[in-house]
Amino acid sequence: MPVLEIQDLTHVFPDGAVAIAEINLKVNAGEFLVIAGPNGSGKTVLALHLNGLLRPTRGKVLLDGEPIDKNIIAARKKVGLVFQDPDNQIVGQTVAEDVAFGPENLNFPPAQVGMIVKESLAAVDLSQFATRSPHALSGGEKRKLAIAGILAMKPKIIVFDEPFTGLDYPGVVQVLKEILRLHKTGHTILLITHELEKVLAHADRLVIMHKGRLVADGKPESVIYRAESYGVRMPLKDGEKVSALTWLK
Amino acid sequence: MTLFHYIHKDTVLHRMDGRLKLASLLLFSLAAGFASDLPDYLAPLSVLICSVLLAKLPFTVLLKEMRFFGVIILIVIVVNAFTFPGDPILKSPFASISRQGVIAGLRFAGRLSIVLLVSTVITGTTPLTRFRDAIEWYLRPVPFVPEARVATMINLTFLLIPVLLDSFKEIRNAQNSRCGQLRKNPVKRMKYLVFPLLGQTLRRADEIVNAMEARCYSEVRTKATFKCKKTDWFLLAISFAVFLFVLL
Repeated sequence: MPVLEIQDLTHVFPDGAVAIAEINLKVNAGEFLVIAGPNGSGKTVLALHLNGLLRPTRGKVLLDGEPIDKNIIAARKKVGLVFQDPDNQIVGQTVAEDVAFGPENLNFPPAQVGMIVKESLAAVDLSQFATRSPHALSGGEKRKLAIAGILAMKPKIIVFDEPFTGLDYPGVVQVLKEILRLHKTGHTILLITHELEKVLAHADRLVIMHKGRLVADGKPESVIYRAESYGVRMPLKDGEKVSALTWLK
Repeated sequence: MTLFHYIHKDTVLHRMDGRLKLASLLLFSLAAGFASDLPDYLAPLSVLICSVLLAKLPFTVLLKEMRFFGVIILIVIVVNAFTFPGDPILKSPFASISRQGVIAGLRFAGRLSIVLLVSTVITGTTPLTRFRDAIEWYLRPVPFVPEARVATMINLTFLLIPVLLDSFKEIRNAQNSRCGQLRKNPVKRMKYLVFPLLGQTLRRADEIVNAMEARCYSEVRTKATFKCKKTDWFLLAISFAVFLFVLL
């Protein structure tokens, strides 16, 4: 049984604009899925449906076979969402306080919150910054803090919305390593990006969205050649293989 | 900028219970209001200067950043000196300086200095969340006040102020790079600054709400735990003693 299943998902905005239409997708546990598409193709709207931040106009999202609106809190614990701009995700005055935000919402006892914060910060190698202001961190570190905030919720699935936007080369490498580590530790990864050259080598599957519809889905080696026709830059040069599409050496 | 910002150090004042710190803030503010004679000003000021040193806050840097308030104090002293009726110290055909005016100006300077210093010590040694927790604790017995919501609002407001200031600077720079500063009409200039800032703020608020919801935001949250040590009570007792000294 897939860990995440999207059935006939459609979202129409109040002004009548169709953001996504009839999306069908099954994601297996432990899979690394890259969702690509040009701006306005509905990638972020799709992501916001995965833990119930947006409710569909039609269709449904199933988590472990159960519709997510049956227990929205459980869905938000299972599906962690790392937003495009970490500045909008960070709500704590210090790094540790920000990580504690999620567990405190779940009303965990203070000692347990403290333990989770320690574990989550250690997992992303930010323990030494625990008392620092989040706004003093670099772009890559802020992204790692956003990941730590999500890890504190103990999710099974982590959705990254454009995780490389605005990062310099070391920042991209830092975040990419973190994503791969999370995948290795058993998390299911859904990564939204149009910068395929940075990450595709590590993905099990590539999905392309165009004008709100899912237009291609399959192994990266087979789908990549259709990318350009849907407004995603073809990252492969002549003779190059998908395994070259990474910023890790 | 160091003034009114939390500076992480491991001192007695940094570790002090947030609720007692809030009570101390109130006592010093009241002392500033009741002060009338020179010793009434000197007592709280000397305790507060000792506190700055005890908290290992960068005294000279803070003093430099307080220059702006120095200018305000000077203006108030000068205005009071020239406009307050009373016994003249200096007489000229155009204006005269009164003794009562100078005293009134100096009193204002003393009060402002106490409030400034106590705010500096409290904000420099207390993370905002501890403030939030203390406010939440004080509001808990008040009926019909959703203390968790109020505390979250205070937290988000303080969190967003520097972000909004950055956005404001960015928008202004972007407009100035297109010679926006040449526009003479202040209303139009404000319009071009305020509307983009408002739009950006609303979009950002929307995203923050989404991010908080994604992490299961709830008003039934883990309650903060407070620990009052003997030293905390001792520090509060000093604040109370200063207040009593000024009052009596």
